[in-house]
Amino acid sequence: MEWKLFADLAEIAGDRVVAVDTDPGETVGDALGDLLEAHPGLRDRVLDDGEVADHINVLRNGSNVHHDDGMETRLEAGDELALFPPVSGG
Amino acid sequence: MSLSLDATQLDRYSRHIIMDEVGPEGQKRLLESSALVLGAGGLGAPVIQYLAAAGVGTLGIVDDDVVERSNLQRQVIHGDADVGEPKVESAARFVDRLNPDIDVETHEARLDVDNAHELIGGYDVVVDCADNFRTRYVVNDAARIEGVPVAHGAIYKFEGQATTLVLDGPCYRCLFPEAPEPGTVPDCATTGVLGVLPGTLGCIQATEAVKLLLDAGDPLAGRLLFYDAMDMTFETVPYQRNPDCPVCGEGGIETIEGVDYTGGCRIDAD
Repeated sequence: MEWKLFADLAEIAGDRVVAVDTDPGETVGDALGDLLEAHPGLRDRVLDDGEVADHINVLRNGSNVHHDDGMETRLEAGDELALFPPVSGG
Repeated sequence: MSLSLDATQLDRYSRHIIMDEVGPEGQKRLLESSALVLGAGGLGAPVIQYLAAAGVGTLGIVDDDVVERSNLQRQVIHGDADVGEPKVESAARFVDRLNPDIDVETHEARLDVDNAHELIGGYDVVVDCADNFRTRYVVNDAARIEGVPVAHGAIYKFEGQATTLVLDGPCYRCLFPEAPEPGTVPDCATTGVLGVLPGTLGCIQATEAVKLLLDAGDPLAGRLLFYDAMDMTFETVPYQRNPDCPVCGEGGIETIEGVDYTGGCRIDAD
C-alpha cells in the first residue's frame, strides 16, 4: 500500500510517496499506523489527541474516507491512500 | 443599468465578443460586474491583471502591505520603482495603465472580523488571494453569509490548491473544518515559493471568477484542484457539504462578529 503526502507532510516524511506493509483486508487506520511508525515525525503533525486532526483529509482512491467507514475502512489491493492538509500561501 | 459597448470597447474585447459563450451581452455583463481581490501579492497579481484585462468593470483590491523587493520575483504587477509603495496603489496604477474601463476601489486594510462584511458585501465575486489561514476563514465565513461566491487559491512552495465556493455548494469549512494551529505550516517567507507558481494558481482563480460573472461553464465547486509544479500534475478531489457546517449548514451563523479567529479558527456547534 502507498501513501501520497502533500505540502508540509511530504517534507516532514522526506518523501511524497511512502510505501507501507499494510495488507488488503486491514484498515486505513492500520495503514496510517504503519505510516506513522515509519515516519514518527509525522505523528505530532497528523494526530490531535490520538485522532487525525480535523484539518487533515484522509483519502482512499481520491475520496475522503468519511464517505466509507472512516479509519475502519477496509483496504483492497491497489488502493491509493493520501493525506492532505490545507495550505495558505498567497 | 444599461450600457452599450463603444467602438474602442468593441475593439478591445473583440476576442471575447466573437465567441458565443461571451458575446456582446457577456462582455457588457463583465463591464457591469464587480470583483473583490483579497491580497495584491503572488496570487492577486495575475488575478488583477486578467480581471482588469477582461473588463471586469469594478475591481476592489484589499491589501495592507507595501511592495518589497523580495516580492518582485512573483508579484508581477509591481515593479522595481514601486518598492516601498502600498501594494493597493501600485496595483491601481497597473490597472489604470492596462485598461481605462476599470474602476479600481482600493482598500489599504487587512480584511478581518471588523470590516469583512462591509468590504465583501455588494461585490459579485470574491477572489481569495490571502496569505494566511485567519484571513481565509474570515473570507469564507463572511462571503457565505453575504451571499458572495469565492474563488479560492492557496500555494505552498511548488504546490497549489484551488476550489470555488458557490452558494449552493460546500464552503471551505466543509473541506477543512479548522486551520492548523499558527506556526504549524511555515509561510512563504520561511519556505520560499517558486515564482511562477502563483501565476498558474492565480490564473485558475481568475478563470473561475470570470466564469462565475458570466454564469458560464462548470465552476470548480465541491472539488479541490491540486497542482504540483514539480511533477506537472493536476489532481481533483471531490468533497461534499457538511450538513453540520457552522457556516453553510442548517442554522449556520449569520454574522462573524464574536467568532474567535485565533488558533484554529474553529466555530464550535452550539
